[in-house]
Amino acid sequence: MPKRKLDPLPSAAFQILVSLADGDLHGYAIMRQVEEQTGGRLRLGPGTLYSSIQAMLEENLIEEVLQSAEGEALSERRRFYRLTGAGRKLARAEAEKLADTLRVARERKILRGDYV
Amino acid sequence: MSEKVYLFLLGLFPSQFRDAYGDEAVQLFRDRLHDEWRFFARVRLWWDLLADLAVSLPREYGYLRQSPTTTSIPQRLEGTPGFYLLEGGSPRAEALCLGTLLSATALMAVSFSMSWSARTISVPGLTLSDNTPATKSPAGVDSIPLGLRSGAQISGVPPNVAPEGSGLVGQNEGMRAPTTEHNDSDVDPAERQRVIDGAVANLKQYYFDRGVAQKTAEALFAHEKNGDNNAAREGTTLAALLTTQMRDASGDTHLVMEYSPDPLPSGPPAQTPEDEARFRDAMLQQNCMIRKAEILPHNLGYLKLDFFPDDSVCGSAMRKAMATLNHADAIILDLRDNSGGFPDSVSLVASYLFDHPEYMYEPRGAPTEDSWTHSPVAGSLLADKPVYVLTSSSTWSGAEQFSYDLKMLKRATLVGETTRGGAHAGAFHRVDDHFGMGIPEERSINPYGKTDWEGVGVTPDVKVGAAKALDTASKMAVAKLQPK
Repeated sequence: MPKRKLDPLPSAAFQILVSLADGDLHGYAIMRQVEEQTGGRLRLGPGTLYSSIQAMLEENLIEEVLQSAEGEALSERRRFYRLTGAGRKLARAEAEKLADTLRVARERKILRGDYV
Repeated sequence: MSEKVYLFLLGLFPSQFRDAYGDEAVQLFRDRLHDEWRFFARVRLWWDLLADLAVSLPREYGYLRQSPTTTSIPQRLEGTPGFYLLEGGSPRAEALCLGTLLSATALMAVSFSMSWSARTISVPGLTLSDNTPATKSPAGVDSIPLGLRSGAQISGVPPNVAPEGSGLVGQNEGMRAPTTEHNDSDVDPAERQRVIDGAVANLKQYYFDRGVAQKTAEALFAHEKNGDNNAAREGTTLAALLTTQMRDASGDTHLVMEYSPDPLPSGPPAQTPEDEARFRDAMLQQNCMIRKAEILPHNLGYLKLDFFPDDSVCGSAMRKAMATLNHADAIILDLRDNSGGFPDSVSLVASYLFDHPEYMYEPRGAPTEDSWTHSPVAGSLLADKPVYVLTSSSTWSGAEQFSYDLKMLKRATLVGETTRGGAHAGAFHRVDDHFGMGIPEERSINPYGKTDWEGVGVTPDVKVGAAKALDTASKMAVAKLQPK
């Protein structure tokens, strides 16, 4: 597979990293989690989802684990993805960068509210 | 249906992506399809997929362009073209199908253009050379019936129906008393040398395989030098001797030298209406060589055909014979005594046995429109019936083509003996006033990638003596038709 770029970190990749923060998920579950955490604004299609996953696997940000989904037979094992230490670190750094941006936006009165 | 559409869309991705994530992408699609069953949810699903496709496809192919797997490519030599491998792994089934389709189209286009040029530049089966009388192609050249339909191509010879007055004597046809100008016994060494020189020149110029032509030419010269021909004082003897020498050297039974006591015409022979009428009468007298067309016990249709007769003369008789068999449960075509015939007739009989046009490979030249069967034949019930073809060591030429093609197309079971082995046909070339020769000039591409049956014959699927072939085939047909 050709090498993919993750610098700067695309939004889809960041959202996937965040979605995996609470535990291992398979592709469809990642898609649903991302949809939920973005308020339905981002629904990852298979092309974008697996292209991002491939890129993050290459960079060791996530790793693959084979296990059964809840309620599914052993024979129906799927590939689950797990956040690695490097992935968690990058997600945190990216989140802090966004938080900084958000802070600036609030300072500049672009965004209202007192959170952060 | 939805999944098929999605699989098609997924097929647009590069193979590496499909190999790595194809299954998961399909699973994801299924999951969404399962969960999003309402109308608007479905619309949104397809919208998402198409939007994703529009973004992902260029990106994936972009990755490929950026990083072709050049590492595995050896250093390019100066001036030598190099290739970059963009896709690894086996080609997809769809790619193979498309490739096959394109190749077949290209092949058909080439065949068509060859056929067209053959018709335009030289009529198939009618070859002119500077020193020849431009007779019709005598494909079956043990004897050469000249009184046939003008422009026809024939392979093999109808037994006992060669019209008289052909002007040629085949070495198998026996002697005919010399009539004018040339005494059969006055071939002197000078004329013998002239005939051999002429034969060599014609071979080198016209025979389709230059290597074999050269080898045959050398053999002819060697025999002459060794004095092998010194005893041949008669034209017929010399013709037979040279024929044997050429066939031994080349292995091609369609190479032939013929002798005519009458002077050979220097231009195209006039095909008189009398000649045509004589041939037509001879064929009709022989019932177009249809020996039997009947229904055997167990409802087996049986056709014994000793020649594939000219469609223009015997087309209706042939169709009538095939109609006789139309309600049979299996067909036995008896070609044990069949000596060949016209390609259009071979195609006519084969047409009844398919429900779609099939290419009937014929090694005697460029494909023509008759190289494809005219299937389906309206009203024919035979397209899906089991077919057994009976062969013998006498089955020859056009009959071998029929047997070979049906075997290769897996449409018939051949029962009997290995056939005689005459695949090539020749055009007739004048050597001098009394000698002429048949030379196979062209050979079409064998779609089965094998050598044809020239010299080796067509091997039956079930080897059994010719005398037992009908009995064996009948038993096989009955066994096959037994309800399981």
